[in-house]
Amino acid sequence: MSPRNKTQPDPEGSSATATALEGRWNVVVLNDPVNLMSYVVLVFKKVFGFSEVTARKHMLEVHEQGRSVVWSGVREQAEHYAFTLQHWHLHTVLESDEAH
Amino acid sequence: MKRIEVKLSLPVVAPLLDVIKEVADSLSTDLAASNTLAEVETELRDTWRDELLLSQNEEVKQLLALFDTEFFATGVVAFDGSNAEPIVRACAAIRLRLRERFLLDLKEDVLESGDIELEALDEPGRRAFMCYLFLATIQELIIQHLDSSILEN
Repeated sequence: MSPRNKTQPDPEGSSATATALEGRWNVVVLNDPVNLMSYVVLVFKKVFGFSEVTARKHMLEVHEQGRSVVWSGVREQAEHYAFTLQHWHLHTVLESDEAH
Repeated sequence: MKRIEVKLSLPVVAPLLDVIKEVADSLSTDLAASNTLAEVETELRDTWRDELLLSQNEEVKQLLALFDTEFFATGVVAFDGSNAEPIVRACAAIRLRLRERFLLDLKEDVLESGDIELEALDEPGRRAFMCYLFLATIQELIIQHLDSSILEN
């Protein structure tokens, strides 16, 4: 059973949810000292369909700057990518683009 | 289907398997890469965690299954398009946990460079680091020879 009673309208809650889901979201991969560079490149190619050059660029950003924004867009898709990157054991966070 | 077979040195690898198994067991209830998605609703995050944990456990099991009785008879392990992806991920999971449990004293840049003085590590640390390198070698072999299988899957 869902914790929220869907038969009762909740204007405040709906509006807060709508606000949270709007706008652009960044999928950010954080550096870790464990995963191999070649592994991270493979993951970026596999998950995002990046070319070798683009995948390496993002991998080097992660390695040298500690983080890389690998995708930006709507919340639902960003969550999907974050889930998939966690499946590959990459440290991933979601950030609202408005925060920057 | 492209397939690679690797002959490993039993006297070198066999002692590492106990450590790998122990670390694999410790992953049965925890994700290797901690769930850092604070922005995601709790309910969704918990569902994700359960799904990720399930696949992590299945993949780790697949990695451990490489070292079966046939391996102990021949020293050979085989990789192909059907197991490359889960095994390369399982190696990542166990390496992350090895670091967390045994190698946290090593600075990040030292660990990244791989320039480690083995003598400076205690015995559990030495064995953990050997496992860490062994699993990285498996990952490199798979990525070098089977990356197209993974990308096409």
